Amino acid sequence: MSAAAVVHVVVSGLATGSIYALMALALVIIYNATRTLNFAQGEMLMVSTFVAWAAQRAWQLPLPVTLLVAAAAGAGVALVFERAIIRRSIAATHWDVLIITVGLSLMLRAAAGLIWTHEDFAFPSFFGNRPMVVGPIRLAPVSLGIIGGSLLLMLGLYVLFTHTRIGRAMRAVAQNQRAARLMGISVERMYSLSWVLAGVVGAIAGVLVAPVTFLSTKMGLVVINGFTAAVIGGFGSMPGAVAGGMLLGVIENLAPLYLPSGIRYSVPFLVLIAILLIRPAGLFGRVEQRKV
Amino acid sequence: MRRWALGAAAAGLLAWPWVAPRYLIFLASLVLVNAVVAIGLNLLSGYTNQLSFGHAGFLAIGAYAAALLTIHAPTVPVIVTLAAAGAVTAAVGLGFGVPCLRLGGLYLSMATLAFGFVVSEVILSLDGLTLGADGLRVPAGRLAGFTLATDTARYYLTAAVAAALVAAAVNLTRSRVGRAFLAIRESEVAAQASGVSLAAYKTAAFGVSAFYTGVAGGLFAFVVGFLSPDAFDVFLSVDFVVMIILGGLGSVPGSIAGAAVVTVLHDWLAAFQNFRPLIFGAILIACMLFMPGGMAHALRPPGRR
Repeated sequence: MSAAAVVHVVVSGLATGSIYALMALALVIIYNATRTLNFAQGEMLMVSTFVAWAAQRAWQLPLPVTLLVAAAAGAGVALVFERAIIRRSIAATHWDVLIITVGLSLMLRAAAGLIWTHEDFAFPSFFGNRPMVVGPIRLAPVSLGIIGGSLLLMLGLYVLFTHTRIGRAMRAVAQNQRAARLMGISVERMYSLSWVLAGVVGAIAGVLVAPVTFLSTKMGLVVINGFTAAVIGGFGSMPGAVAGGMLLGVIENLAPLYLPSGIRYSVPFLVLIAILLIRPAGLFGRVEQRKV
Repeated sequence: MRRWALGAAAAGLLAWPWVAPRYLIFLASLVLVNAVVAIGLNLLSGYTNQLSFGHAGFLAIGAYAAALLTIHAPTVPVIVTLAAAGAVTAAVGLGFGVPCLRLGGLYLSMATLAFGFVVSEVILSLDGLTLGADGLRVPAGRLAGFTLATDTARYYLTAAVAAALVAAAVNLTRSRVGRAFLAIRESEVAAQASGVSLAAYKTAAFGVSAFYTGVAGGLFAFVVGFLSPDAFDVFLSVDFVVMIILGGLGSVPGSIAGAAVVTVLHDWLAAFQNFRPLIFGAILIACMLFMPGGMAHALRPPGRR
């Protein structure tokens, strides 16, 4: 295996990993604010990408507008869910809310299948197909585009969470709800906002990845890799989610080069189990204090 | 009152193949298989609060163990085959449960989810033994000189095994062990302070749960007669979790009721292939919003909640 080929595989691994990282970030944003796990995140990504695709085909929209449509669709779906269903179950246990989101994901997937069928569709790409040649290394522009786009989005999230009033309010809610409420923050609004933010992040990830993986109702399964990434990084930690996603993507792409193909798809899960055994709270997670 | 109800249930179980059409006999067998899985999962999740999204993996191990044993040793009585399937699965469950002691809540659920994927992958890659994605045809089991080749015979086998396992589970939950499980669910710290060994009981819960699911897997292999790895995907694991949450966490009758409702619902909605997940999802959400605690909680008289 030449070094150039390894670089190529690592870069495409980072591209896959960026999508996992965005998925993990979306899950962590909702988890931090509401302490619930959104199993429907993958299906939200799938539906918003489908909506953008349908709008693009109907009105011949330019791609940047398509991206905006996807983001708006992601925000809309998330807002409707949070307001109509999740908020009603605010007194329920975390497992109950998890089951509700499982129900939501089943419904979204079935509805998308009824509207757009369960086939694969090509999605237009921002980036060309000609590989970029740097010395002996050949890189796919799509991979670089996905990495760049994701990094921009992550930077945006970083600025939002550290340098804006709203971001600080969301972090306050994540840390201590009662204290946040006493400081005049509307906790309910932050719940909605975290869902909307996660919906937008997921939608952008969907538009970035759809040209590579094709658009289909199966896209939503990426949520499982998102979970894995978030858990590897330590659930609740945003840098952890990014690191976990990138690590997972690279390992998943490198593993087939060195291991028999039979266990290829188990690799991420074996990595997950291995990391959890060494660090039960993930790479960046803190072990929660047990209180009586 | 209790005795009457039990007697009626036993009579109903025995009489079912005479009154029901052939397909419903098969469906009843499937309900019983799922009920055993649901009880097994509930012993782990409902009693010790370790939610597993990987029970389809345990079911697959039991099913393939029973199928392979029947193929390679056709003369072994079916009861021994089922016990072996349970034992193999329990061994895997213990092996997986010990390292999982370090994990709590969400992390444990993720590890079990990962376990389910790894099992499917292993079945696919051991295609010399399991025939991989082509699937494996399971020959009929034998018991005391008879071949269990009809739906009715398989139904009676399933019913007898399920009844025994239900009785065992009810007894277990009322014993010292069952109370220790419940104490762990309510508060790990308090349980530990009262002298309950967390490590021992949590591992035991994993082993018992895997044993139940492994036996159910063996029954599944005989009832369905054909195994392929894609039958044991993550959605099946989710179905099992839905069964116990719908039925009621920490309730044996609830597990049975949840298994029955989910299995029959899946079957009813089979004609509406494309609408099925839509309706299923809507029912799931409605149950969670309006009946939290599951059927066992909703049906209990108000004073005993």
